[in-house]
Amino acid sequence: MKIYDMDEKCYVDIAKVENPTTKVEQLSDALYCFENNIFDVIYDKSQPALVKYINSLDENILKQDGFQFLYFTSGTTGLPTGVYKTKENSVKQAEALLKTIADMKFNRVVTTVPFVHIYGIDIGAVVPHLLDVDVWTKENFLPEELAIEAAKEGTLVVTTPVFIKALNRIKKDVKFSNSMFLTSTAPLPLEDGKEFRENYDCSVSQLFASTETGMMGHKRDDEQILTAYDGVSIGESDNMLMVSSPFVTKKVLNKGIIEDIIPPFQTEDIVEILSEHEFQLLGRSSNLVKVAGKRISTLQIENIIEAMDGIDAVLIKIRKDERALKDEILEIYVESKKGLDAKVLRAVLKKHFGSMNIAFKIHNGMEITRSSVGKKIGFKEL
Amino acid sequence: MEKHLITTTDLKTKIIDGLGLEDIGINEIEDDMPLFGDDGLGLDSVDAIELTLIIEKEFGVKIKDMGESENIFASSNSLVSYINENQAN
Repeated sequence: MKIYDMDEKCYVDIAKVENPTTKVEQLSDALYCFENNIFDVIYDKSQPALVKYINSLDENILKQDGFQFLYFTSGTTGLPTGVYKTKENSVKQAEALLKTIADMKFNRVVTTVPFVHIYGIDIGAVVPHLLDVDVWTKENFLPEELAIEAAKEGTLVVTTPVFIKALNRIKKDVKFSNSMFLTSTAPLPLEDGKEFRENYDCSVSQLFASTETGMMGHKRDDEQILTAYDGVSIGESDNMLMVSSPFVTKKVLNKGIIEDIIPPFQTEDIVEILSEHEFQLLGRSSNLVKVAGKRISTLQIENIIEAMDGIDAVLIKIRKDERALKDEILEIYVESKKGLDAKVLRAVLKKHFGSMNIAFKIHNGMEITRSSVGKKIGFKEL
Repeated sequence: MEKHLITTTDLKTKIIDGLGLEDIGINEIEDDMPLFGDDGLGLDSVDAIELTLIIEKEFGVKIKDMGESENIFASSNSLVSYINENQAN
């Protein structure tokens, strides 16, 4: 396999890169480490809080024997969780994925996602490695550019719902009949999947996964029910999905401490189990917003805002806007004498979450109402 | 027929509406303020895709190569210049 840099229009060697910053560098470095069994820490260097946390950790803690990669979740309670994965985790997972799309032949993979998370590496890099086909990528894709690439026969596109929705909006007069799209990081609304199939005569397989568990289930096009991947055992406890599989991590790094994971792994996803291999996703146990593929707890954002000077209490609700590529908007209700300024909040969120722009609307002049045990339950105008 | 040249105010209105920047006023976006990055409006890569779709829909101008986008999206001024230069008559 080779890497094709679409910006420079040339092939790039798979090589060790110190401090990789571009997508091509990240991909080249990760593949080099993977091929040569060199442990590597994969993280998004544009997130200042994460960079600070990793830099504060001793190398003996970060590097654990027998593991290939250390990934990081965004963390729902403040600090991100480190997730250790073996090479076997990634290879078995890629094999399970390829079984589900064995009806098609691919001669290359085009990846729009960055190589700083498990989805980019495990699917965008390890899958073409296993298929022994070239991986094509560029720093930033336009929907038009992706359409041109997807129209070429035998292309497996590794992408996100943002691009599926964007391609639906541009409605190019072109078909991707001999290509296939993989999408993950956020659910693709059923109507968008249907529309994509109708517009482009192309199948989309949605991967339901998390950093800790790896891939859990998949569904294609307008299917509503998820099917567990080969090797994945599913169950539930109090309606929460429990998963055992060869892809689940065995070790995590939690607040600087290494913890062993005893299977099955309990997720935060509320599900209905329909059969041994089938389940339906009903929701999430905590109030999580998806921004740039990362799950961020609204509780975490509430805590960040409440730590700001002059803010007494904050309650955040998530509003859905199906029209937008960023389809979740935070409604921020603020109890404070001086009020919360949007510009100040943007700067604070940027400090914590880096270069992602979180959509929000601030409602100042509110009183946050609480239950008898102090839990925030609502708001009213003062 | 003459082209209808757009102004930075036209563009900013579309940016605020299209990207759901409900808490930002037109006056808060300076004409030469960077649209992306820490020193400016702080838009991200998903906003960039949304912005290309908005510009095509609202002004009929396609941005064909994301490689050019760094200069085009540098500020409201540069984006307005690009739109006005590339608008069909």
